Amino acid sequence: MRKQALSGILGVLAAFAIGALVLALQGFNPVATYGALLQYSLFSGSGFTATLTRAVPLILTGLSASIAFASGPVNLGQPGQLVMGALGATLVGLFVHLPSVFLVPLCILASLLGGALWSGLAALLKRAFAMDEFIVTLMLNFIADYFALWVITYPLFDPSASTPMTRPISTAAWLPDLGGVNTSVLFMVLAAVVCWLIMSRGRSGYEWRMTGQNSLFARIGGCKVDANYVRVMLVTGALAGLAGGLMIMGGPHRFVKGLGANYAWDGIMIAVVASNGISGTFLYGLLFSALQQGAIGMELVTAVPSEFIDVLQAVIVLVVVAGRVSLNMVFDRLATRRKLKENTR
Amino acid sequence: MNVLFGLVSAMVVGATPILLAAIGGTFTFYAGIFNIAMEGMMLVGAFCAVLGSFFLHSWFLGILCAVAGALVMAGIFILFAVKLHTDEFLTGIALNLFAVGLTTFLLRDIFHVKGAFTDAGIRAIPAVKLPLISGIPYLGSLLSGYNLIIYVAVLVTVLSAFVIFRTRFGLRLRGAGYNAACLSSSGVPASTIRIWSLIICAVCCGLAGAYLSLGYVRLFAENMSAGRGWISLAAVILVSGNPWGIGVISLLFGFFDGLTVFLQGGRIPTQFTAMIPYVATLVSLYLYSVRKKRRQA
Amino acid sequence: MARDVLIDLQHITKVFPPDTVALSDVSVSFEAGEIHALVGENGAGKSTLMKVFYGLERRDAGDIFFRGAKVEFRTPREAIAAGIGMVHQEILLIPEYTVWQNIVLGAEPVRAFGIIDVDRAREVVRQKIEEFQFNLDPDALVGDISVAARQKVEILKLLYRNVSVLVLDEPTAVLTPQEIPQLFAELARLRDKGHTIIFISHRLDEVLTLSDRVTVMRRGKIVGTSAASELTKEDLARQMVGREVLFTSRRQPQEPGEIVFHAQGLNCSDTEHRARLHDATVEVRAGEIVGVAGVEGNGQFELVNAIMGLAPMTSGTLEVKGKDITHADILTRRTLIAFVPQDREKMGASVAASILEDAIMTHHILDPRFRTWRGLGLNYRHAAEFVDQIRDQFTVSMGHSSDPFNSLSGGNQQKVILGRELLLETPFVLMDQPTRGLDVGSIEYVHQLLLDLRSKKRAVLLVSADLDELFMVADRIVVMCQGEVVADLATDATSREEIGYYMLGGKEVAHAETGS
Repeated sequence: MRKQALSGILGVLAAFAIGALVLALQGFNPVATYGALLQYSLFSGSGFTATLTRAVPLILTGLSASIAFASGPVNLGQPGQLVMGALGATLVGLFVHLPSVFLVPLCILASLLGGALWSGLAALLKRAFAMDEFIVTLMLNFIADYFALWVITYPLFDPSASTPMTRPISTAAWLPDLGGVNTSVLFMVLAAVVCWLIMSRGRSGYEWRMTGQNSLFARIGGCKVDANYVRVMLVTGALAGLAGGLMIMGGPHRFVKGLGANYAWDGIMIAVVASNGISGTFLYGLLFSALQQGAIGMELVTAVPSEFIDVLQAVIVLVVVAGRVSLNMVFDRLATRRKLKENTR
Repeated sequence: MNVLFGLVSAMVVGATPILLAAIGGTFTFYAGIFNIAMEGMMLVGAFCAVLGSFFLHSWFLGILCAVAGALVMAGIFILFAVKLHTDEFLTGIALNLFAVGLTTFLLRDIFHVKGAFTDAGIRAIPAVKLPLISGIPYLGSLLSGYNLIIYVAVLVTVLSAFVIFRTRFGLRLRGAGYNAACLSSSGVPASTIRIWSLIICAVCCGLAGAYLSLGYVRLFAENMSAGRGWISLAAVILVSGNPWGIGVISLLFGFFDGLTVFLQGGRIPTQFTAMIPYVATLVSLYLYSVRKKRRQA
Repeated sequence: MARDVLIDLQHITKVFPPDTVALSDVSVSFEAGEIHALVGENGAGKSTLMKVFYGLERRDAGDIFFRGAKVEFRTPREAIAAGIGMVHQEILLIPEYTVWQNIVLGAEPVRAFGIIDVDRAREVVRQKIEEFQFNLDPDALVGDISVAARQKVEILKLLYRNVSVLVLDEPTAVLTPQEIPQLFAELARLRDKGHTIIFISHRLDEVLTLSDRVTVMRRGKIVGTSAASELTKEDLARQMVGREVLFTSRRQPQEPGEIVFHAQGLNCSDTEHRARLHDATVEVRAGEIVGVAGVEGNGQFELVNAIMGLAPMTSGTLEVKGKDITHADILTRRTLIAFVPQDREKMGASVAASILEDAIMTHHILDPRFRTWRGLGLNYRHAAEFVDQIRDQFTVSMGHSSDPFNSLSGGNQQKVILGRELLLETPFVLMDQPTRGLDVGSIEYVHQLLLDLRSKKRAVLLVSADLDELFMVADRIVVMCQGEVVADLATDATSREEIGYYMLGGKEVAHAETGS
């Protein structure tokens, strides 16, 4: 755990250093750039709350990927599941008319179901026809994208809009802001806590993790690995779906074109750097959210294109992941040297 | 007749990028690498092709830049996955992310646009009229007049089948995948073979990328590889690497891709026709699993 | 007979991270044209020493001299170029390739453009086969030939590269008693042609039969080198283990009780419809250890899988304590069967998990004390106490229960697995190669544990490739060959030779192939 944290911090710092080098080579001032980045994401009131709101889909899709990868299924379908979850919440928000106390939970339920439906489809194809979930979920991402685009272009098209989008959902389903922070953040934190409890304290989490590490061992040990596979797929799909639902309910309050595209690989990226840990996912989700949030301010102040952050994120992933392996090798070598000294003494 | 020719031509056009990337992927597949970075290599290739073609005023230099760009990606893959023993899957994911980030960043940084860059200054890869054949009625219009890269792709396919199954390199390549320890103990380090397979893969993906941005169309758009790298990976897995099988599968995808173009403007909304290649991938995965099950039963 | 020193290893030290000293200041020399045996118990460092010499493992200190000059082989390729070849314990061939493809791989004869010259390759391989009288078909797929034949392919692969020094790591481990003399005849012939052979083994009889000189290793150190003619089996054993060793069984006479485990007519086939298990019938009584012997790949693995419900059977019935478990799911079986699988890392545990996580598997379902929060939660406090119980009862030397499982030594890992399984308190215990890869102390511990189970009236089925082990603990030995149970013999009324005879399917093949 401590090794994990160390390699994470070193990796992020190294990635920032590489980024600084790139900036300097392009003739930008790295200190001013990073300063602006932090200013607009963490050290200003509105920036910080925006960072938190932005973290909702990042952390939820990150949790989805983390739990899936830690438990075995290579669910790469968070973008598609997010879209389907968002669609579920939108449908309920558009056509069901109830007071907030009922409508909000109902919308959330619909988003969970929407995501789980999409991942469940992949799980079904795997269980029935042994089709690899990692390609299936990927293909389903594209299909979900086009399907959602069709839905908002034709059946649910808002005639008053110029680009494809739906009408706004019922205001009873809107998640209000509390002191500048959107309440979707509360739902996200709640989901993260539940995830942590399941994975670190629950019996199913234990079985899932063991299955993910060595499914034959878990199977011999009496775990129902096939049923667990389906459960994990459903849960992780629901998490991604929840991300979509909360985005609709807390954000634009309607399904607009390109909703999922911005979060395409973010969840997987976060799970990968966090090596599938729940708390790591939470922290890296905040970090990446801060980077993305600060990017806009950074561009305003320093003229560094906000896309620089996309590169920086990828560099962080590469450096942290490779650094973890290398750091272990360094630890091993140090231990060898110590032992050698003892031995020759 | 014209409809048929049009469909064949659309099929070949759609098949080419997938074929090239899948042939690249087949080398890494045989070498025993779980390589999912084709998507990223293709994307960087597509960007560098436009970059080279636009600034150096030559489609040929554009192709070279595309290959060079993809090779840089392969270099990163080699550094991390082969040298530092980082997980291949994670490296691949990170590389794909890197490709998306890098190309959008550079698109903005160099061309100062968002979304897509197109300009009259970009030189496209020309179509080639085959001598002799182009004169033959029907056959001529069926076989001649395609983009240069399409002929290169055919050549690459034939060549790779030959290299994989007949040559010393091929024997070692497959050996690296079957049993790396055995190959290494035979005096050929498996890592060397893997490095070469990644280099070949990058060259193929670079060509595929150049075709996307200089052959198919004449522009670069964010994320324009649009999952073709993943589809090519599915193709490789479906035929367990056999280059001839990849040829057939790619044509099949090309057919569906062509169908997409044909059905446009019809009664079916474009959103559904656009899904076709991805649904086709799922259907072929399904057929593959049914066939496999039948063989076992 | 005085020969020239060919290979001289000086002060070799090797540490495996984090803190295993595999070789500690080892010095030994090998002479030209001799068969030199390197003996020692599992884990004594024999293989590691040879891997260091061969360029497969990096050493942390020491020098290597070959033909009088200081050398440094960084890869096997360099060692082979210098004329040294090693055949590994686990056979390293490509089953999908033919015999000739395997032999020429890495040194292929080619024509222009790197095209393999198939005709020449097959011709050269055929010549080599004739020259060394190896009786192989160059065009056979390696996946289709016997283990003994694969070993010949490995040796031939090196001879094809014109090596003069052959290192063989436990070459007899995969052979039946009848196949061993043939290998020895071939090795003696190679020596007579001037080859030097270094032969790693822990089987004393064969060492004394075959070798000219013997070097004994113990715990990463050299005990001594002597001429084989001056040694007895007892000397060797004492040197290897460091104390007197008894070669007799410690089984106390005991009447077995009622039938606990009964497998009747088990059949199963692989994906290509080949029968892997054919009408296998085995029964084990309470207070009885039944050993399963056989050449690897003759249905033992399938038998274990069928008992555990890991692979589907086409017919047959399974009963434990009178309960029919033929169609039961794995969890139901686990209430009746304790299972120690042969491969710790693939089946017995998750190496990435903590000791605690590996120790509580199955108990977390069957034992209600592991549940909290109405069964949703896992009671980690009870789990930690459970690990303490395993540690104390099975003398596991370990740090904290949250330490990673792979921080334990092999012997302690196996103790955790044994503890976990035996604390299930099941009437039937199934062990598949429980001592494979363990050090001497741990092996003895496992054997004592087996005998304790026997006196506690448990029924034990023990699959083992080690005949010595079976003769030491088993009451009866059933022999498997090509998926069939071909013999069921009382240990006290049989011999290794008889078992070996049945292992080969009762066919007399030992000397037929050797030629004359």
